[in-house]
Amino acid sequence: MGTLRRFAIRLAGLFRKRRRELELAEELASHLQMHVDDNLRSGMSAAEAWRQARLKFGGIDLAKESVREASTFMTLETTWRDLRYAVRGLRGNPGFAAAAILSLALGIGASLAIFTLADNLLLRPLPYRQPGRLMMVWEVSPPGNHRNVVSPANYRDWKAQNKVFESMAVFREEPAAFTDGARVEELQEQLMSADLLPMLGVQPLRGRLFTAAEDLPNAPDVALISYRLWQSWLGGDDGVIGHTVQVRSRPVTVIGVMPPGFYFRNRNVDLWEPMGLDPARDYRKLAGRYLMCVARLKPGIARDAAQAQMTTIARRLETDFPVFDTGWRVNVEPLRESLVSEVRTSILVLLGAVGLLLAVACVNVANLLLARYTSRRREMAVRVAIGAGRGRVVRQLITESVTLGLAGGVLGVALARWIVLGLLKVAPADLSRNIAIEVDYRIVLFALALPMLTGILFGLAPGFVAGRGDLMRGLREDSRASVGGAGRLRAWLVAVEVALSVVLLAGAGLLFRTLVGLQGVDPGLNPARLLTFRVEIPRARYREPVQVREFFSRAMGQIGRLPGVEAASAVSYLPFNGMAAGTDLAIAGRPPAKPGEGLGATIRTVMPGYFRTMGIPLKRGRVFTDADNTLDSLYRFIVNEAFVEKYMAGEEPLGQQISVAMDFKNPFGEIIGVVGDVKEDALDQAPEPTVYYIHAHLAYAGMVFVLRTKVDPLSLAGPVRRVIHGIDAGLPVAQMRTMETVVRETFARQTFSALLLGGFSLVSLLLAAVGIYGVLAYSVTERTREIGVRVALGAEPGRILRLVLGSGMRVVLLGALVGTGGAMALTGLLKSLLYGVRAHDAVTFAAVPVVLIAVALAAAYLPARRASRLAPMDALRAE
Amino acid sequence: MDNKQDVWQGTLALMVLRTLEARGAMHGYGIARRIEQVSGDRLMLNYGTLYPALLKLEQEGYIASEWGVSENNRKAKFYKLTRAGRAQLKKETRQWEETTDIIARFFAPEESV
Repeated sequence: MGTLRRFAIRLAGLFRKRRRELELAEELASHLQMHVDDNLRSGMSAAEAWRQARLKFGGIDLAKESVREASTFMTLETTWRDLRYAVRGLRGNPGFAAAAILSLALGIGASLAIFTLADNLLLRPLPYRQPGRLMMVWEVSPPGNHRNVVSPANYRDWKAQNKVFESMAVFREEPAAFTDGARVEELQEQLMSADLLPMLGVQPLRGRLFTAAEDLPNAPDVALISYRLWQSWLGGDDGVIGHTVQVRSRPVTVIGVMPPGFYFRNRNVDLWEPMGLDPARDYRKLAGRYLMCVARLKPGIARDAAQAQMTTIARRLETDFPVFDTGWRVNVEPLRESLVSEVRTSILVLLGAVGLLLAVACVNVANLLLARYTSRRREMAVRVAIGAGRGRVVRQLITESVTLGLAGGVLGVALARWIVLGLLKVAPADLSRNIAIEVDYRIVLFALALPMLTGILFGLAPGFVAGRGDLMRGLREDSRASVGGAGRLRAWLVAVEVALSVVLLAGAGLLFRTLVGLQGVDPGLNPARLLTFRVEIPRARYREPVQVREFFSRAMGQIGRLPGVEAASAVSYLPFNGMAAGTDLAIAGRPPAKPGEGLGATIRTVMPGYFRTMGIPLKRGRVFTDADNTLDSLYRFIVNEAFVEKYMAGEEPLGQQISVAMDFKNPFGEIIGVVGDVKEDALDQAPEPTVYYIHAHLAYAGMVFVLRTKVDPLSLAGPVRRVIHGIDAGLPVAQMRTMETVVRETFARQTFSALLLGGFSLVSLLLAAVGIYGVLAYSVTERTREIGVRVALGAEPGRILRLVLGSGMRVVLLGALVGTGGAMALTGLLKSLLYGVRAHDAVTFAAVPVVLIAVALAAAYLPARRASRLAPMDALRAE
Repeated sequence: MDNKQDVWQGTLALMVLRTLEARGAMHGYGIARRIEQVSGDRLMLNYGTLYPALLKLEQEGYIASEWGVSENNRKAKFYKLTRAGRAQLKKETRQWEETTDIIARFFAPEESV
């Protein structure tokens, strides 16, 4: 009980300090007075009486101090005092404080931001029941595409024959015109088999999921809608269930609302409908591969076992259906893997880079702390000499560095928020689409703890040096320069900073060279002043191909007459958009291809004027004219150079007849022209053989308009919308962008990584420069007298300059050397992000150390110049 | 040196409690003189060390203090034993006796153990 009571009293003792002090003084005074009285009574002189009383009492201040210590928690009090002292000290030295806090804030802010992104994108479990058991099942095409979409027929056979999956489902994604009657928008829709959502283990927020009966052809049309769509458009009330909306101009009944934040593979999807595969139909005839397949492993079955069984099934299908399945295999890939593998390298590289940056920041702070300690050695020595315990001094130092760490940490966390928001703006779309970034508070805590730890560690280091019994040396030490232990340690730290910076710079250099390379690649078309947008007309209202053709011809005629439009056309799939139709074809006069060895090509259907509008050069023959764009015209094709090279090398392509397996009837048609190659998915990939149809013969209902303009392309957005709505007010005009944007997005990943790595390496370069400057400036101060002597003995200023520069450069060169080695070892990790430049690119590896040494020289020059200009007498007199 | 001081603090508290039990309320100076007297002047006590000990005892609730006037008309702070202090003294006396008894056995002739 005594202990507890004492604790409470001491706690209370934090207050009413003045009163307590007064009482204590009074009590001790009365004690001495009584003692003096006694002494006088025993016959001493007044002076002797006082002397004896004092002697007997012992140190009065010591007694007071121990009473104070006991009356409250001195630790708290002194900590508070240390803290105030630290803040005062830091305010008195704002350059140091700012440099240290900024270093930490940058390091912590950047790493916290990247960690948060990585956590959200890579580390969090997917929001489904037992997500680890969910697998994507792909077909593997004969040329080796491991993520080929799946044939409905193969899916049905897989599903019937496998014994490794609990369930298996398919889906595909399409844009869909959606309207409530008042307004029309193009939304992203997933069409899925009814067993998909139950497989994920999700429940609707309102209403119900699809039934198996609804997943049949000719079943009534029903849809699930996203929470976002429900809230933002459909009023967010329960009346929406059973409500009818128009999707692709068909009436569809809303049967449920998915919970907020639900998504499957694509966060942009707002609408789900059953796919309705026809059980009676043979999908191996007249249908290709266009589905994605997801399956849930049975408990206890590993991915490898599933892969083995699916391979066996694929072999069986190959025997049963040689025409359709020869050479086709299956790939079972964990769902998460399939989602993040594209961005994983980018994120891992960034994580590594940010780790390096954080290390540089910590090293820099350590360096600054050491410098500060060195310049305060005397102060410490004086404090110890006048009675501060060693522990007290160390505690003071730690308080200061922890204060710094905390300030840096708090600023870093704030900075991280901004960085995350900024990153999401510049991040590639597939990385950041509608992602709701959640901050993990454990990460924030970690970020706050880290600088504190750094602070304690590097506050302790000088503390121990101070604590070691070299007090008197600290007092005695004048400017007779000895670059002591702290000086050497600091030089090492600078070398480390330089080495880490070289690694970062090398990575950034390689990525920038990749970017420059990519920007220099000829895309095969001229993207300047090209406006693109997509219009899809609903099959429900435009049943006949002639109607489709009419709509687009009419729209094109009106758009082409708009002021500011130089040329206009349309294409089924824009190049660089990540999607295009592909199929097999036959060339007249050649034996039919063996199963699995079909001639493949990318298929585009275009309207007249496409090649001129896009700036794709005609190499031979002619382009399509308006006369070709009629239903009764002869089948004619245009191919690209890659097609000629691959299938008709050394032959005359013009006049050859080909047949493309695109439709119900695929008559042979003549090749009338050869055009230049256009890059397909991305600038760093080789162009694919391509066959162009005229729109009338392959009348896609969804076309992308392309407009070459004389003015700012986006200024035509309003006029073209009015044209489309003037013809059919129920059509959404979607994906309005310039072609330059489309092309730029193809290397968004590289841009993103290069931008960040560039930023990181600049910051780290700056930090290294500060470090170099700090070390040299300090050593010049320490060696003032020595330099003075040299000057007095006749050393030229140039010699002094070289002396100081040389001492700095040794460290820098060592760091640069080690860093180059480290970079050599690490840049291999970047390989998949690089284009047109090898991971050990000689130019980069030569340039980076040069840049770094140049910056280091600049940083070293200032203190060196100061040294070279010292007047010898001033230098010698300097204390 | 440091260790000895610690032992001192412990025994000092016991001496203070015992003194206050025997003599009633006393001021710090009086307690110090009394301890010296009882020890037959064999104990050399730095009077200053008494005050932290008094404060600790007071915080633990074993003694209470109030300002009063000394026999020679000096204003002084008087300490007296509380009920908790009395109980604590009893406990500590018992412990002390036991300790000394044990220690004494070690110094007793071998065969009597």
